[in-house]
Amino acid sequence: MNYPVWQLGFPGGLLIAAVAVLHVFISHFAVGGGAYLVVTERRAYSHNDSDLLGYVRHHSKFFALLTVVLGAVTGVGIWFTIGLVSPEATSSLIHTFVWGWAIEWVFFFVEIAAALIYAYHWDTLDRHTHLMIGWIYFIAAWASLAVINGIITFMLTPGRWLETGKFWDGFFNPTYWPSLCIRTAMAAGLAGIFGLVTAMWEASALRERVVRWSGWWLALGIASLLPLSRWYFHNLPPYSRAYFNGALSAPYIAVRYSLRGAAVCAGVALILTLVLALLRPKLMSPVAVAVLIVAGFGVMGSGEYLREFSRYPYVINGYIYANDVRVGQIKGITAIGVAKTSPWVEANTDNPHAYGRQLFVIECGSCHSVASYRAMRRFARGWDAKFGSEALLHLPVIRETMPPFAGDENDRAALGSYLASLAPATPWGASEKELGQQVFAIHCAMCHSVGGQRRPLDLQGTDPEGIVGMLGSLRDLSPDMPPFTGTGLEGHALAAYLSNPGK
Amino acid sequence: MKLPIPYPDPMPLPGPVWLLRVLLLLTFFLHVLFMNCLLGGTAVALVCVMQRKGSAFSARLAGDLGRLLPSVFAFTITLGVAPLLFLQVMYGQFLYASSILIAVPWLAIIGMVVLAYYGVYFFSMKEQEQKGGTTVVLTLVVLLLATVAFVYSNNFTLMLTPERWLDVYHRNTGGWNLNWSEPSLLPRYLHFVLGALAVSGLGLVVGGVRKQQDEYRQWLIEQGSLLFAGATLLNFGVGFWFLVKLSGPARLAFVGGNGLATVLLGVGMLLALAAVAHLIMAKSSKSPKRQLAIGISCGLLTVGAMVVMRDVLRNLVLAPYFSPNQLPVAPQWSIIALFVVLFVAGLATLCYMLRKVAIATRMQVATGQTHR
Repeated sequence: MNYPVWQLGFPGGLLIAAVAVLHVFISHFAVGGGAYLVVTERRAYSHNDSDLLGYVRHHSKFFALLTVVLGAVTGVGIWFTIGLVSPEATSSLIHTFVWGWAIEWVFFFVEIAAALIYAYHWDTLDRHTHLMIGWIYFIAAWASLAVINGIITFMLTPGRWLETGKFWDGFFNPTYWPSLCIRTAMAAGLAGIFGLVTAMWEASALRERVVRWSGWWLALGIASLLPLSRWYFHNLPPYSRAYFNGALSAPYIAVRYSLRGAAVCAGVALILTLVLALLRPKLMSPVAVAVLIVAGFGVMGSGEYLREFSRYPYVINGYIYANDVRVGQIKGITAIGVAKTSPWVEANTDNPHAYGRQLFVIECGSCHSVASYRAMRRFARGWDAKFGSEALLHLPVIRETMPPFAGDENDRAALGSYLASLAPATPWGASEKELGQQVFAIHCAMCHSVGGQRRPLDLQGTDPEGIVGMLGSLRDLSPDMPPFTGTGLEGHALAAYLSNPGK
Repeated sequence: MKLPIPYPDPMPLPGPVWLLRVLLLLTFFLHVLFMNCLLGGTAVALVCVMQRKGSAFSARLAGDLGRLLPSVFAFTITLGVAPLLFLQVMYGQFLYASSILIAVPWLAIIGMVVLAYYGVYFFSMKEQEQKGGTTVVLTLVVLLLATVAFVYSNNFTLMLTPERWLDVYHRNTGGWNLNWSEPSLLPRYLHFVLGALAVSGLGLVVGGVRKQQDEYRQWLIEQGSLLFAGATLLNFGVGFWFLVKLSGPARLAFVGGNGLATVLLGVGMLLALAAVAHLIMAKSSKSPKRQLAIGISCGLLTVGAMVVMRDVLRNLVLAPYFSPNQLPVAPQWSIIALFVVLFVAGLATLCYMLRKVAIATRMQVATGQTHR
């Protein structure tokens, strides 16, 4: 509300995810790869293995080209992107953690300098000094991860910070340590994957040795993920755990797919690692390495998605909602309305549809599109304006992941009317039962199921006239229910369907 | 009409304004030095590559730049992160709003920087292999970096003019905007780009001074001095144009209306002239080293004065709406202390690494032997 909204045509969160996943993939390699380089270099010296040393040398150039350029710039890219999509939340993070970021910047600076020296001064520096530079690189890179981890985990579990507002309370929050360990394990695994990438350019004897050596890194990373993830899970807020436990199962298909996807990717990676990297390194091929990269990307991407999702409806848990509205602002906006709160909205009373569209952008646009990703055309199919307006009063009940609506009655009416206009399909049916099913889908299915897990409605055998009577006083049954706004015919069809859904 | 300036973050500033400003200006000064050497340096590299066949010195300079520019690029980015951080904490509500209005070109910076960065590495690699064929890539790199600079000029002028924001927003809510209606946009951009060329000239002089006595050294110093002098003298004209195009109160502030602004402008101009004079006179001087050292110092001080002047201009233009001094402050002293300790430790580590490299390189040059 405080800032203009960048209207991309799709939810801005997707853009953050795209930039973030790419960065996270490379930056974790930048951490684990540092340890991999220096430990492998040491190993080459102690085994007097000049071939292995030659490999590390080549690998360090590849490493620098990928991490110093793409890794560093996409990191700045995340910063640019979150400022564009969630300026309010970004500002809060900056105000809370500016000195944390400043410290991270010191590590970043040392890290970049050490990476360049390490990669381009093999011939200049003696072994001891070169190794020392490698260790400096790794320590700085890991320390930089440890700092950023505090800020990322803070967003999901701000812990005592919500009461005290103190830096350290937010930084060392409930998921700090498990997340740091998971990220360190991921870093080790990715070091192994990229070690395999460059191993593919080596001659066969050396290749086998490097493949097996990289396989150990990968195996260590993957094997630690399961227990560490469980530790992390137990430190999540109860409502986030509920998303994963399936207690709120029905609507969260993406969560299920992400969990399964992460498990499948980790499983594939582990099998490929055990069979092709550790047991039969001769068989490791560029195609298998490509599969491992995709699997690694899958684990990383799913993990990041689940972390982001489990934070909904917040972007900073308990402090700022996903649509960049502060928790503390809701009352004020509800009292005076959006038009008087946001200077970026044109309150055009002659054209409530245009006003409703602006409200959609400002209140819903960070997660929903009109017709593509999480399309409101699909969710609001068949709504009438009154139902839309009433439904907005109950958003956190409809979906636990949604923030409450912020606005006055006029705002609700305008947005409800706009949402109703997106897919104004009138219910119709060849039979009363079909009509009843359609009315159920429009008016009830957002919150209820018939014979399902999600808030099941079991009215089988109830007198249809009794149900019609209930439809007229839904709010008396529960203050969380919007009134039924269908026609008399639709009401009777719905009652007939609910009283005998199986017929 | 009420301007659409977002209210500042409700949290207090986590450090005193003076400290945040010192860090903003200090890190921005360092960023500008590297950024100028990068933008100017790639342009110089392009000229050298095109003149390679006719001039052995140009070919040698292209090789030197090929070795240097990737690191210059890395430090330009690294040093750019810190001022952006401190700018956000003090002026976030202006920067976020203007960035969103020009979101597409603003975010495109990331893509352009990645491409330019790999372009510089490509040039560097080709130079090490002593292969040519980098003219096209270097041209693209220079164009990309010049475009990045242009987008920055757009954003940093737009953030200062909230009275224009609603028009820009309603023209295109998808972020496909630039700040074309800003009268000072072009002169400001040209002023900064010419400044970058001048500073890269200064960089050549510094590079020359550090070399051993030979003709190449002399050539480098001469070419660098000429580049610095030419770009700086041209910049007097462009700077005047920039001044004329500033909004009334800001312009008046620099010509007597505000003591600090006027003094900074005067001192900056005098320092620039002094730098030009010393660099040009160095050749015929009895003590060229001293002249060059004074010239380089004056040049660096000019950049420092310009950096402070830029900050003063920002505060003057924003004064009717906002000043960071109005914000509540609750310094996080324990973390600030930790930052200072780590900053010093980081600098010490950097010095340790650079010293090791310098000693090892000298040894290598002296003995002609490598460690491998």
